[in-house]
Amino acid sequence: MERVELNREGLVLPATAPNVAADHEEIDRTPVRTYWQLARQRFVQHRLAVIALVVLVVLVALAYIVPLVTGPLFGRTNLAKIDAPATLEAPLGYDELGRNTAVRLMKATQTSLTIGFAAVLIIVGVGSLVGSIAGYMGGIVDNLLMRFVDIVLSLPVLFIILMIVALFGAGNVWVVIIAIGITGWTLAARLIRAEFLALREADFVQAARALGAGHRRIVLRHMLPAAMAPLVVAAALGVADSVITEAALSFLGFGISSPEASLGNMLTNAQEYFYSAPIRAVYPGLVLVLIVLCASFLGDGLRDALDPRQRIGK
Amino acid sequence: MTAGAGTRRGRAGVRTARGVPPASGDGANLLELRGLRTHFFTRDGTVKAVDGVTFEIGNGETIGVVGESGCGKSITAMSIMRLIERPGQIVAGNVVMHGRDLLKLSDEQMRDVRGNQISMIFQEPMTSLNPVYTCGDQIAEAVQLHEGVSRRQAWSRAVEMLQQVGIPDAKRRAGEFPHQMSGGMRQRVMIAMALSTNPELLIADEPTTALDVTIQAQILELMKALRERNKMAIMLITHDLGVVAEMADQVVVMYAGKVVERSDVTTVFERPHHPYTEGLLRSIPRLGERRARLEVIRGVVPNPLNLPTGCLFKRRCPYRMPICDTAPPFQEVRPGQYSRCWLTPEHEPPTVGLSPAPEVAEEEAERLTVAPR
Repeated sequence: MERVELNREGLVLPATAPNVAADHEEIDRTPVRTYWQLARQRFVQHRLAVIALVVLVVLVALAYIVPLVTGPLFGRTNLAKIDAPATLEAPLGYDELGRNTAVRLMKATQTSLTIGFAAVLIIVGVGSLVGSIAGYMGGIVDNLLMRFVDIVLSLPVLFIILMIVALFGAGNVWVVIIAIGITGWTLAARLIRAEFLALREADFVQAARALGAGHRRIVLRHMLPAAMAPLVVAAALGVADSVITEAALSFLGFGISSPEASLGNMLTNAQEYFYSAPIRAVYPGLVLVLIVLCASFLGDGLRDALDPRQRIGK
Repeated sequence: MTAGAGTRRGRAGVRTARGVPPASGDGANLLELRGLRTHFFTRDGTVKAVDGVTFEIGNGETIGVVGESGCGKSITAMSIMRLIERPGQIVAGNVVMHGRDLLKLSDEQMRDVRGNQISMIFQEPMTSLNPVYTCGDQIAEAVQLHEGVSRRQAWSRAVEMLQQVGIPDAKRRAGEFPHQMSGGMRQRVMIAMALSTNPELLIADEPTTALDVTIQAQILELMKALRERNKMAIMLITHDLGVVAEMADQVVVMYAGKVVERSDVTTVFERPHHPYTEGLLRSIPRLGERRARLEVIRGVVPNPLNLPTGCLFKRRCPYRMPICDTAPPFQEVRPGQYSRCWLTPEHEPPTVGLSPAPEVAEEEAERLTVAPR
């Protein structure tokens, strides 16, 4: 009892007032770092992730700003400039139809990134919904949902996507996004479910229950944040996967087709000139590899940064 | 008593007022367990983890529930909170609080009871806090959940609670994560969280087991202080008789899912009746006593899938008698002291004879089985 009172007194002392208290009542003035400060510190430790973030930011900025400035330039053909070499306004030269390759590449990056990020929203959304329900409810619900996941996984994904795109309109960005989204959520669902199965038994979830928290609160406030790590990983993999799938689709002629630009259809075009101008395949290929790599590294870094249990070391 | 609760916490009072009148005659009890049975239906058979547990907790009373691991202490607590999960199931009994049977409430109503009227502290302070939220956040959440106050108010309440449980520099500490605190501090945070809503009953499931002895003493002192201040009842689950002696008013000794002895704390320590209680007391090491070996209770706890017939303790009992093959009644051996044993209050074998025919014993059991209240 005495100690309780004593501490209360000690705390009433305002931290700013010059206090004449004895040594044992000294107030620790080291600032408490907030969650986001800590997260930033952990993230900065991940050198690769930081580099990936910078590269991605540059890519995103270029991809969304350049086409905004140049307008429809990416699709404008110019017969006088067919296969023309690089100049100041076309640092990567012109293609077989006299289109500005650099501008076109930026527009293609924009399309691919849009598809990647939008599809990942669907993937993470559906995946965490199905995964958390299955993991939290367990039993027959879990069984049914996971068998459904197995069925979706056993389908030939590319074929399904091709079917959807062929049925609902090839070349439409939204159809492509939805097709990739609804076939790609299974991995996320499995990861989240596995995490939830473990978390459901965790003492702190029991404790929340004992404090009278309802199902929704337990799932949304206690379990999902704790399951952030696999979710972030799933999202990173999802971005990489979606971008690659889009490229494959466009390459096959079912995704985004000319005159619209996407990394996939740029690769298709480059194919014909593989021997005469191999560099044309390198540009979109390089951007594709960069996006996929950066997404993975960034995912790694974010996973560690968002987990407060991770130490800030070194 | 209802009025008292009403003045202390408005919501509970209102609920009681329009609820069913208390089922039992005397209103001094905060919580009554009657014939609680919680069984686990496993592939190997039914485990009767809690098998007919009856006791009551008075207002502001501290009741110590003692027994070996696996005797059903924690399951009893979980049953009160209705936190039993498959394959476990509460198959019979009542848990009456303010005249309401908690086992008959809807899930919604039960959620309101949890945390609000009954709170629980868990054994493992290291894992019972959510690692991704700050301690202050977690306490504030508990406050918000039950009192619908603003975020800011809840936070200042959380800081206040942390001060109350003796965490120095609470304002700063509230912003820290559980992993930045020691075990003792985490347990304090747990206690702060459990008490933040002013419960009428605090269930403490081995609150000090994971802590070292000095911290243990501090936590017990803290619980005592808070008990006085908040006038709440405590159900203290432990296997540490020292903790019981320190804290409890009443003691319930459990063995293999049944209450084997119940009385006030002095009687248990001075004149235990059940041989199991005796054994527990004898196996406490005493300071300054030279002895080659510590006394133990021989044998092991019976396999819950294969319990002996008759008295559950008979295989380990130094007083074993032929009559022990018949289940002994739970009888009052002295005023206020109940024991599930055939021995007479004077610890003599019962007069029915040393080897009574089974029917006689059965009859005797019938005669002696008077409901403990």
